[in-house]
Amino acid sequence: MNANLLAQSALSGLFSGGLYALLGLGLSLSWRFLRIINLSHFAMIFLAAYLTYQCTAIWKINPYLVPLFLIPLFFVVAALQQLAIIRFGIDEFGSIVATFGVTIVVEALLQLIWSADFLRLETDHLKGSMVLGSLLVPWADAFMFMCAVTTCVGAWGLLRFTYIGKALRANVENPAIASIFGVQSRRLSLLVAGSAGGLAAFGGVFIALLFALTPSQMYSWFGVIFATVIMGGLGSPLGVLVAGLLVGVSESFAMALVAPSWAPIVPFTLMVSLLTLRPGRI
Amino acid sequence: MVKNLTLAGMPRMARTRASYIFGVGLFAALAVFGSLPFFQPPAFVESFLYLIFFWIALATSWTILSGFSGYVSFGHGTFYGIGIYSVARLSEHMPLTAAILLAGILSAVVAIVIGAIVFRIQHLRGELFALLTLASTFILSTIVLNTPIDGGPGVSLLVSVPSLFGSQMSTLYLMGMSVALLSVAVAYSVQYSSLGRGLFAVADDESVAEAQGIPTFAYKLAAFAISAFLAGVAGGIHALFISYVTVGETFSITVPLYVLLMSVLGGTRHWAGPCIGATLIASATYLFVSGDYALVTKIAIGATLVVATLVMPGGIMGVVSRFRRINVDQTTAVAGEGKPISQPPGVGPAGASPESVLLKCEGISLAFSGLRALSQVSFEVRENEILGLVGPNGSGKSTLINVISGFYRPDEGHVFLEGRDVAYIGGHRVARAGIARTYQIPRPFARLSVRENVELAAMFGAAASNPQRAADEADYWLAFVGLADRADALPSEINLHQRKFLELARALATQPRLIMLDEVLAGLTPPEVSKAIDMVRRIRDTGTSIIFVEHNMRAVMELSDRLIVINQGKKIADGPPRQVMNQDDVVSAYLGVPHVAA
Amino acid sequence: MLRLEGVEIAYGDAPALFDVSVHVDRGELVAIVGPNGAGKTTLVNAIARLLPFRKGSMHFQGTDVTKISPQAMGAHGIAVIPEGRRLFTQMTVEENLDMGCYRRNSRAFRDQSLAEVYALFPILRERRHQISGTMSGGQQQMVAIARALMSRPEVLLIDEPSLGLAPIMVSQVFEIIQKIHRGGMSILLIEQNVNKSLDVAERAYVLDCGRLIAEGAPSELRSRPEIAGAYLGHASP
Repeated sequence: MNANLLAQSALSGLFSGGLYALLGLGLSLSWRFLRIINLSHFAMIFLAAYLTYQCTAIWKINPYLVPLFLIPLFFVVAALQQLAIIRFGIDEFGSIVATFGVTIVVEALLQLIWSADFLRLETDHLKGSMVLGSLLVPWADAFMFMCAVTTCVGAWGLLRFTYIGKALRANVENPAIASIFGVQSRRLSLLVAGSAGGLAAFGGVFIALLFALTPSQMYSWFGVIFATVIMGGLGSPLGVLVAGLLVGVSESFAMALVAPSWAPIVPFTLMVSLLTLRPGRI
Repeated sequence: MVKNLTLAGMPRMARTRASYIFGVGLFAALAVFGSLPFFQPPAFVESFLYLIFFWIALATSWTILSGFSGYVSFGHGTFYGIGIYSVARLSEHMPLTAAILLAGILSAVVAIVIGAIVFRIQHLRGELFALLTLASTFILSTIVLNTPIDGGPGVSLLVSVPSLFGSQMSTLYLMGMSVALLSVAVAYSVQYSSLGRGLFAVADDESVAEAQGIPTFAYKLAAFAISAFLAGVAGGIHALFISYVTVGETFSITVPLYVLLMSVLGGTRHWAGPCIGATLIASATYLFVSGDYALVTKIAIGATLVVATLVMPGGIMGVVSRFRRINVDQTTAVAGEGKPISQPPGVGPAGASPESVLLKCEGISLAFSGLRALSQVSFEVRENEILGLVGPNGSGKSTLINVISGFYRPDEGHVFLEGRDVAYIGGHRVARAGIARTYQIPRPFARLSVRENVELAAMFGAAASNPQRAADEADYWLAFVGLADRADALPSEINLHQRKFLELARALATQPRLIMLDEVLAGLTPPEVSKAIDMVRRIRDTGTSIIFVEHNMRAVMELSDRLIVINQGKKIADGPPRQVMNQDDVVSAYLGVPHVAA
Repeated sequence: MLRLEGVEIAYGDAPALFDVSVHVDRGELVAIVGPNGAGKTTLVNAIARLLPFRKGSMHFQGTDVTKISPQAMGAHGIAVIPEGRRLFTQMTVEENLDMGCYRRNSRAFRDQSLAEVYALFPILRERRHQISGTMSGGQQQMVAIARALMSRPEVLLIDEPSLGLAPIMVSQVFEIIQKIHRGGMSILLIEQNVNKSLDVAERAYVLDCGRLIAEGAPSELRSRPEIAGAYLGHASP
């Protein structure tokens, strides 16, 4: 194994780690601030990916424009779902089951509309790679990575410095006291759910850009994204970013140094050891 | 999430009759389904029924841990997978039945190992358990994929299943039927055994369950092992059915999610729930297998799941039981009246000499993240004594109670109950040793009826009675506190004052040597207070010693034989009530240190 | 300024407060004392509008506020400092203070309020980036008071500020309350520590078993036997 190959695999690990963080961020936020484990996040991501495919490959819309209307659309849909969850008073466990139901429905609908065959989005944008020294850097991955990092850091800044961010953190710790100071938790929860929906849409665009699509593929993301979210610490965007990169890079090294098929064991071993040794972190 | 489902959903008199009916039903099912191959039906009928049986076995086995105890596992695929690969690899080297049995045993062993690790985690939250079990599936699948167990290409089963009634399918069908009926029978007997009752209590409030003497750790582990064993056996049989196994198929997300779905639809807190759910969902799935029909079915399943969670959180059995319970209420309301109160066996004034020491605390200290909550607290409780424990808010009274009941381990010090140190033995052993407590804010098991709450205490406390005797004792103690006519209500249906008395009945039913009453009078009206005071005296008359924590000083002065005062985590006074309350430092602890001017 | 009349509160069917009438005039420091279990916390929760009145009314500056939501209390200018401080323990001191001026109308004065609060509690300026949950009980109480002041209230409702504090800290907290009062703030103090409360208050009520059993000037109340009776369960020590 030479140094160049190792560097290349570290780079590809960073890229997939960025994607993990981008996909996990919405899940982490809604888990922490809404106490909702939203399995339909994955369905939303894939729905957005298919819509991106439809818009770009079939309707020939510029892919840069797609997120501009997908994100608001998904914001509204997710906020509506949250409204239903509040209306029926669903608890954390109930949310897993109900959102899994939504996931099944969406998966079947995707299959009805786009079939179970693999679809690959071909576009002239973000094609090819740049060469950095001895490293090959695909444009699409680099762009995605940049967006992921920006999103996570941005989310961190919003939570850390704005009144809304502080209100969210206060509300999750003590809703009764927060409400005394004028925090309207219902409005905030719609905002969080909507943002998570928007993040799903954003992530979905990149899934369409980087992977061949088939509906059942959404389940294969469950494990690694949950591992990232748990390790990052719920509701912590920077934590999710760091955890994502850690998972991505260690997976990538496992692939390069041992065998690709061993890679999945890495995130889960990391997660299990973290949970058993430091359960208080979550 | 189940709101209105009590354990049995029927009064206990009907219990024996019910298990008789269940037995008859089980044998009837065995006879009907077991004789089917004799008529040589088409293979697709048998394979369709086999698949339903297979899902019944998986969903029911999942429910024994996850439904009953509330610890939702996403790792059922692990045990199913162990079953699949055990039979795939072992069936060539040993008889089939041995391989299948071994598959179950291996699964159970893995469950015990996983459980021993994760259930040790302090304050393990439900969703962490779910994710840890999910992770275990992924880890196992990676190991299987990368080792000679599979290695990648999948495993073909070379062994041939013997033919019964001239067809291998019939054999598989009978095997599937057997494991399904076995699972249902196991779930039934677990539900009505002390194990099941303990698990239901864990689902409602684990720390109270522990304080009531339920060995929660051992019970969760046992349920996990039983659940895994059945899943392993079902998986082992399924390996024969599909005859070619791959990692991708075996460890897919389908198994863990479908068992959850089936159980939730049917009802997670009843043995019949997963049975019904599995039958419905598996039928729908396998009746419509082709093309768009399959997709529409899938959409229907997903939508059903959403709707069921929203409007029917107890599942189908939840609805059924609620309906039945309403009917039962009307019939027993009359029957329960005017029953004579009889002394339950084994209860009576203890013949202990009043001066001998029952409980002795020595130098108890405890700090929370640097904050000293208790420092060097020592005192004694004598036989048949009411010891008042008072102090201003936040002085450490509740912490002390939590230490004595074994919920907190002290940093230093000892708690001797009749000479035996019980400070470090764990909550349920303390309860069994004979120390009971009530909670300031009543914490009944919300989904068990009033009677079941008390029965549970009788079953697991110092008395550790069998279920039948526990039922009698529950009736006795409910009559003692005046709740006999509310025995079939749910705790949410009685008022605060009745819930306080339920707490008392529950503590008494463990037949403790020492009972700690944490602010039983708070929130009661003056007439209720005098009723409660009278009750406390009557409890002492049964031979039980009492630690009486209370803010209502008049009641304390009236009731206590002796008083200790705690302030800032330290004991500042100990002695006869009047003398103690005149002590200067006690007065200033209560009224505040006066300024020099005052 | 704040006036409660004939208030009766019940938990379900268990009554907890009977016919309680209390008023606080502008610039006044009024104490309500009583032993634990007397109904003090119930009264605070009732004033904070967390519990519905069964009977009676509450007026603030002439307006009937009997039926407003707890969220609206702050907007009316009533700030509650809850028992046990209830800080947002995972947030820093300054973030807690920011929550105090979360409402839009108080947000505009944030910097000014912050300067005033830091002048009152210099230690909080030093510790402004510390996570509030890691501070000592006394300092946490200061944060709680400061947080309430950030909303620039007209009246301050302080519930059991001495709870769980070491004696020296109790004295400090009471000094601060007095200082705030001298600045012109109307304060309703609910405490079990009789002597300290009577030291600082201009007027006081004694609550026992859900009823007001005495009212008057501190000097007068000190000599009344009801207090010792309520607290110690017997007539005068």
